[in-house]
Amino acid sequence: MDITMVKAEEELTFLLEEAVLRGKNAAERYPEQRFFGYLCSYYPEELILAAGLEPLRLLPGSDPANPAELPSYCCSLARGTLAEAKKGKSGLVGVGMAHTCDTMQCLDGIWSDRFGRENVLPIVPPVLLNAPGARRYYQREIEELSAKLLRLSEIKRSFSNEEALEWAWQVCTRARQLAAELDELRPRLPSPLVSALLRAGQLLPKERFIEALLTVLPLLHIKAGEDSGRYRVLVSGAVLETDSLFQMVEDLNGRVVADDTCTGYRHYAQNIVGGANDKIRVDEAPRDSRDSQSQNSMNSRESVLTQIVQRYVTMPPCPCRSQGLEKRLDYLEALALKRGVQGAILAIRKYCEPHAWDAVPLKERLEVRGIRTLILELEASEVGGQERTRLQAFLESLSN
Amino acid sequence: MAEEKKYRQFQVSKDLKRLMAKHYALGRYYRYWGRPLRRKLAWITSGAPVELLRAFKIYSVYPEQYGAICSTAKATEKLCQAAEAAGYSQDLCSYARSHIGSILRPDLAPMQGLPKPDLLVACNNICGTVLKWYEALAHLLKVPLLVLDTPYLPGEQTEHAQQYVLEQLQSMVAHLEALTGRKLDRQELKRQLTRSAEMTKLWREIRELAQAHPSPLNGPDLFIQMAPIVAIRGSQEGIDYYRKLKAETEERVRRSEGSILEEKIRLVWDNIAIWPKLFSFTKMFTERGACFVTDTYSGGWTAELAPGDPMESLAATYTEIFLNRSPEFRAQQMIQLIEAYGANGFVLHSNRSCKPYSLVQEVIRRRVMKKTGVPGLMVEADMADPRAYAEESVRTRVEAFLETLQA
Ligand code: SF4
Ligand code: SF4
Repeated sequence: MDITMVKAEEELTFLLEEAVLRGKNAAERYPEQRFFGYLCSYYPEELILAAGLEPLRLLPGSDPANPAELPSYCCSLARGTLAEAKKGKSGLVGVGMAHTCDTMQCLDGIWSDRFGRENVLPIVPPVLLNAPGARRYYQREIEELSAKLLRLSEIKRSFSNEEALEWAWQVCTRARQLAAELDELRPRLPSPLVSALLRAGQLLPKERFIEALLTVLPLLHIKAGEDSGRYRVLVSGAVLETDSLFQMVEDLNGRVVADDTCTGYRHYAQNIVGGANDKIRVDEAPRDSRDSQSQNSMNSRESVLTQIVQRYVTMPPCPCRSQGLEKRLDYLEALALKRGVQGAILAIRKYCEPHAWDAVPLKERLEVRGIRTLILELEASEVGGQERTRLQAFLESLSN
Repeated sequence: MAEEKKYRQFQVSKDLKRLMAKHYALGRYYRYWGRPLRRKLAWITSGAPVELLRAFKIYSVYPEQYGAICSTAKATEKLCQAAEAAGYSQDLCSYARSHIGSILRPDLAPMQGLPKPDLLVACNNICGTVLKWYEALAHLLKVPLLVLDTPYLPGEQTEHAQQYVLEQLQSMVAHLEALTGRKLDRQELKRQLTRSAEMTKLWREIRELAQAHPSPLNGPDLFIQMAPIVAIRGSQEGIDYYRKLKAETEERVRRSEGSILEEKIRLVWDNIAIWPKLFSFTKMFTERGACFVTDTYSGGWTAELAPGDPMESLAATYTEIFLNRSPEFRAQQMIQLIEAYGANGFVLHSNRSCKPYSLVQEVIRRRVMKKTGVPGLMVEADMADPRAYAEESVRTRVEAFLETLQA
């Protein structure tokens, strides 16, 4: 094997190990970095990076968690991440969540009660992404969050925040492009491998992830076999902190050829809704300073901020954002057809309302298109014997 | 019967029954006269700006209130099962599930379900659930859905959030104009807001009378008497009714007549009522002389209209409602209630159905206890689904709590 392939194998092992660690002790393992923990893919990672911090997606630990602040009828994502945070010693500079569902809204309040409002920085994106004024509102939220992150980070540097934002935008875009390349290979690669690599990208220092994935991708192109003849399935759902479900699909002769999970490809996907032709209306741009001196820097700032807003508004919608229910159904139907799936698995975390709501019309829509659909309710991301029986029956039914 | 002896009924309540029956009966007629009169029927969430709809002569009914009706009529369980059989998870809000069940199985539903709407209007200031629920309704019924997105307020109201809500309201006006074929009559909107404000003020004043010792109102009074402020807010009939209720409540205060016969303990209630067990649950308290003198739920309809022109006022008022705010804000609200009403304790209904209301309650409980020294009890149940009520464990907890308060 040539030296680059040896290096690629090493980097692949490294990425898979990081995925398993779920960000544990990240601050100790990367002492030169300062991490900021966040929840939800609508939290603009660019802003964290631009503030001199590293975004770290918060995931639940491996043990079942029941922190006293939350009742039992709350999703295990909220319970698990809160329990981890309460252990302390995370070494995080601060945490923040993007307002998504009712549970996240409550978690923001619980965290700020415990850790202090100044260390817990929420962002409240518009729920109706295409409502009048939504982009302008989102941009203001982003600007305010950016300022708060800078205050929290207390970073001193020789270049402006606009330049930092521009750089951060490019870093995140690069990561997304590489993730897209990986996602294209998905039908020909083992499903848990892809899922782990995509998760690693939300846990590692961003540039380190890019460096590793760049090294690994040529190897993956080689490893990617012929079309496997396995059952082709789509998986849709919220956060999956392990690859357990993907592994089981693979064990049962299936392959996840399309992924719509919060911690999977949806986290990276660009410009799906609306696409590049979805022009931002001029009247949506912020009307801030009219000072001609600052006009130049204002323009660059506006353009990077509008790009950031555009990206988050046009990424594939999750059930917590709305452009009308049909938009999400259309997107998933198109994704399923494009990847030629035979079946769809809708993984719903117990007590997760938004995903449970969408599962009903989504199953209906996909089945109309001849795609069998299984709603799989899971306590967390691990699957066990019961799920195995259901999955096996489901996958076998796809050959009929 | 024993319950009635310990409990004073309001005379005016018979008018309430008539009033609400008329409200639902009128809704039914829209099928016949709605079209010729160009009057539409809407299903609307409890936190949506109904004044705007009224200005367009749209008649509104509230599926959430209907959820409570189903529950007191003991229909929730079967209706929820119907929705569950159609794929809706048992963990979804039971108002939503039972309401969807009533569409799928009108034969099992009180009044055979709500009259079919011409449009749906949802505002997410109370929860994210309503957005998903109304999306499902729009999908099922193929009728237009208008949504007002009021961003959650982790701290104070921001200018950009208010501006965003205002722009959406303006666009909602355009949609309503297109849907009804009428132009917005700004004078009429002003009149609607004035009447809403008047009714809200009456409701606030009635509730404040419960600061008296003994309290003229108990939890079930508040939950039953709130029906008009939810369903017919801004109507003249609603105003007239609350005037009568206020007079009767004042009379009770003058005569030092409590809602329960021997008031010994004064409590504040948090969260939606446990509708399927409203009386049997309260009885555990009244038996020991404990009265729920005020609550955060029916108190949700006492907010004063924010200043500004009508649209600005709507934008601010509907964004600032308490369920759209931090636990810190809500704890402060609880502390104020405890102080103003001289309460010795508070009871939080941890309501499986309503996550935004419930998931922060433990944080609130601790905060309030720390600041006031007043004890708080958490009871787990569900506002509508009787399957989530564990009678024995609730009784044990309530008894132990009341004993400490009596000691
Ligand atoms: S979207 Fe679902 S899984 Fe995610 S935090 Fe909300 S309830 Fe939990
Ligand atoms: S989740 Fe709560 S606020 Fe929302 S509709 Fe249900 S009961 Fe009402």
